[in-house]
Amino acid sequence: MKMQQTQKTVLSILCAGMLFTACKKEATSANEEELITTIKIVLSHPTTKAPIDSFIFKDADGIGGNAPSKFDTIRLQTNTSYLCNVYFLNESVSPADNITEEIKEEGADHQLYFTTTAATLNIDSLNTDANNLPLGLTSRWVTQAASNGTTTVTLKHKPGIKASGDLISKGETDIEIAFPTIIR
Amino acid sequence: MHKSAPFHSCLLMLLVLLVSFSKAQNSCKLAFSGRVLDYDTHQPLQGAIVRVHDINITNTTDTSGYFIIQHLCAGNHSISISHIGCTTISEHIHFKKNMYHVFELPHLANQLQEVVVSGFKKTQVGQLQQDIREQALEMSRGTTLGEALSKITGVTVLQTGTNIFKPVINGLHSNRVLIINNGIRQEGQQWGSEHAPEIDPYIANKLTVIKGASSIQYGGDAIGGVVLVEPKLLPNAVGKYAELNTAVFRNNRMGVLSGFWQQHLKRQPFSYRVQATIKRGGNARTPNYWLANSGLAEANLSVAAAYQMKNSGHDFFYSLFNTKIGIFSGSHIGNVTDMLQAINVGEPPEYIKKEGFSYVINRPYQQVRHHLFKHKYYQILPNKSRINVVSALQYNSRDEFDTKRFASSSNNPQLSLQLFSASTEMNWEHKLLRKTKSNWGVTASYQQNSYQYRYFIPNYQSMNAAIFFIEKYQWQKWQVEAGIRHDIKWLSAITSNTGKIYKNQLFRGTNGTVGLNYTHSDVWQSSLHIGTAWRSPHINELFSDGLHHGAARIEKGNSQLQPERAYSLALGSQLQTNHWQLSVGLFTKSIQNFIYLNPVYPPELTIRGAFPTFAYTQTNALLYGLDANSEWQINHHLSLLTKLSLLRAKNTTTNEWLIAMPSDRLEQAIKYHFSDAGKWKEPYIQLAILHVWKQHRIPASGNIPFIQPDGTTKWLADYANPPEAYFLLNAEASITHQGRKNKQVIGLVINNLSNTVYKDYLNSFRYFAHEMGTNIALKVKFPFQL
Repeated sequence: MKMQQTQKTVLSILCAGMLFTACKKEATSANEEELITTIKIVLSHPTTKAPIDSFIFKDADGIGGNAPSKFDTIRLQTNTSYLCNVYFLNESVSPADNITEEIKEEGADHQLYFTTTAATLNIDSLNTDANNLPLGLTSRWVTQAASNGTTTVTLKHKPGIKASGDLISKGETDIEIAFPTIIR
Repeated sequence: MHKSAPFHSCLLMLLVLLVSFSKAQNSCKLAFSGRVLDYDTHQPLQGAIVRVHDINITNTTDTSGYFIIQHLCAGNHSISISHIGCTTISEHIHFKKNMYHVFELPHLANQLQEVVVSGFKKTQVGQLQQDIREQALEMSRGTTLGEALSKITGVTVLQTGTNIFKPVINGLHSNRVLIINNGIRQEGQQWGSEHAPEIDPYIANKLTVIKGASSIQYGGDAIGGVVLVEPKLLPNAVGKYAELNTAVFRNNRMGVLSGFWQQHLKRQPFSYRVQATIKRGGNARTPNYWLANSGLAEANLSVAAAYQMKNSGHDFFYSLFNTKIGIFSGSHIGNVTDMLQAINVGEPPEYIKKEGFSYVINRPYQQVRHHLFKHKYYQILPNKSRINVVSALQYNSRDEFDTKRFASSSNNPQLSLQLFSASTEMNWEHKLLRKTKSNWGVTASYQQNSYQYRYFIPNYQSMNAAIFFIEKYQWQKWQVEAGIRHDIKWLSAITSNTGKIYKNQLFRGTNGTVGLNYTHSDVWQSSLHIGTAWRSPHINELFSDGLHHGAARIEKGNSQLQPERAYSLALGSQLQTNHWQLSVGLFTKSIQNFIYLNPVYPPELTIRGAFPTFAYTQTNALLYGLDANSEWQINHHLSLLTKLSLLRAKNTTTNEWLIAMPSDRLEQAIKYHFSDAGKWKEPYIQLAILHVWKQHRIPASGNIPFIQPDGTTKWLADYANPPEAYFLLNAEASITHQGRKNKQVIGLVINNLSNTVYKDYLNSFRYFAHEMGTNIALKVKFPFQL
């Protein structure tokens, strides 16, 4: 009978609808991508390149959750010249992901800024990107007499807009850490 | 602000001009006669009620379907013709001389639409409610659901840029507002202000806002109110009908095309409708610059079908909402320093402003998909009572794509959420006593949410069961409705992808309402509504832990939260005379355990610097206010419309104002109806001035430090002060072309006519950019009776 046929049709539409709607992916354990958990500042001898000291900020679970597990004070010697290397890591995965390489490769979209309130610290000679604009993965730090302050390391993301003479306000901030700094 | 003064005087001049122009004709000797026929059979309909609304005259048709109404004044009159079992026709007719008109009434669609039959859902006795339909709805076509709803007094929108609009009912929104899409509770990702309702407003034939604090049938949570999205009824008479709607918007060069096809089969009691909408817009423009990456693309589909037997029937509905929304580039900030930098400048940096118009949507953007499937079965029992069984499945997927850190990064979204919901409801509509109507029911639902990538809310499962009873009673001039509902809600399997397991949560609560309507006279009605409702803490309030992008703050959930409990009282009065229509609603809501984001100290240190931190906390809140509407028919051409809404919201524990509440607003409009000219009918123009006050009522202190010129630090609750008050000038015009068979409706809507530069307090992008400049929209509706 026609009636039954219609009911069958109706039932199959219902089932189809249920299947369609219910067909969902199982929860995967994918975590946040591109996470930067750690910044490491390595100071070395300017000519021998021998490492002298390193200072770390680390928040292994990213923003929110647990508080940062490591936040060093930068301690420098008076009247000394250093070669500074900055490294960025994602230590939420194992093995840790070295993000420094990606920043280097896409240096034309990134820039590091160093601003310090320690009166006797001078930071310059930032390395450059492919367009000869400052990048800052390496830099020269020179100290004079003893002083205190903070040294802020800022990583800016400026896809397609990086130009010479950019102020620190340009672009989106990926990293901003104000390290307490002591020169003795 | 000073800019609008000339417009006031302009309006005044126009008013004077129009009054003098339309004064001439005034003879109240016209006769209006005609005949009412069945649309399908062309047989005369006896006992059809013909009503002239503005002067409150009614007449009924005789056995041959004829009627006559005498002593009409020249000018425009609103006429409605209704008949049992038929859809009511409303027309706006201009009278110059005696008129004879034949009306054909279509059958009332079908028994399946609960709203029509039971009346239970539609009229909640005593509640303050208001709707948008017909002309007002036509004029809102092409805009989002939130924008359309904001035409209702007391409804504002929580905005994220120019594309995301979330309705706010008397200051409350998100999880406190229920959206009922075609009788089904919309289960979207409602926890964020940047999550707009996933509904295509073209589905709706009518949008209703119930401002009460409780809804018995739809469940707890509705502390702020309920939005009903009601589709057009399916046809009950054999035939085919199609409609095409187009809308173009100048500002963001947006085009919208929406159409449907519906049919009732000849040999089967089966009817269906297929509806689809596509929408594409580019970057929007403020008066002085383009908003880079603010385009959108939307494609929606819905299918409705009904199979109706003698005493029972099936109703199916499926809808797919699919949108991709660009997030304005200038709003994407990395940390607090970026935020303060943006606020200091007050508008986007040059390199963003210089980007011109484009349809391209780049990161950051959102991609949202929502499937909704509904089946309803009803059975009329021998004792005339009725049983409804409604089941629904919903699937919501939401992907948020932020700017990539490296060009080589994956194309995955940064946040991805999948929410699956299934629900079923059974209710029994019957008469317990002779003068009562009852509706008793049970509901059950299941929900599962999972996420990928960044954590903001955990994976979870949720179950909900409820039982409710509603009784209605009519006695002389009184109408009484009382209802009670008990809910149990269980949250379980709450986990994060990093292996954290959270404690299960169980909540239970009762809603109760009593509503009274009293009819003083033909022209005056009053209502009173007392209710209590509860809302269990939402998953984000319990477990969120992370950075709220765009708001530059860290939000922390609190698993110890208790349900909110609201007590509300609403008083309403409506007056409708020949020339004057006035409706006033007064409301007060006391919410215990009100959940809100409380600033906490110290700011949280992250690799992006320190962020102010907010924790979900509970307090007691009191909200009260007034919504008023009036329409004054100055003469048959000219009318003056006024809308006023006032709101006060306090944290009664600390005696501070609540943050992010809409400020007071007043809208005044003047509308001029021209006389019909041949095939061109119902032409009108309207000019409106919207005045939005500056929100002065904000918390006096918070946890965001600002160093003052004298070196001291001031702690404030927000990154920037609320924006200044503003005036907006909006205009609209419409005309209907009466074709041989069909009526085409043409509408022109101009928003922000004077290209005013302004910011709105409830737009979360006010930190970064101004609002849209002038936007001219042309809308045309083409119906096809086949």
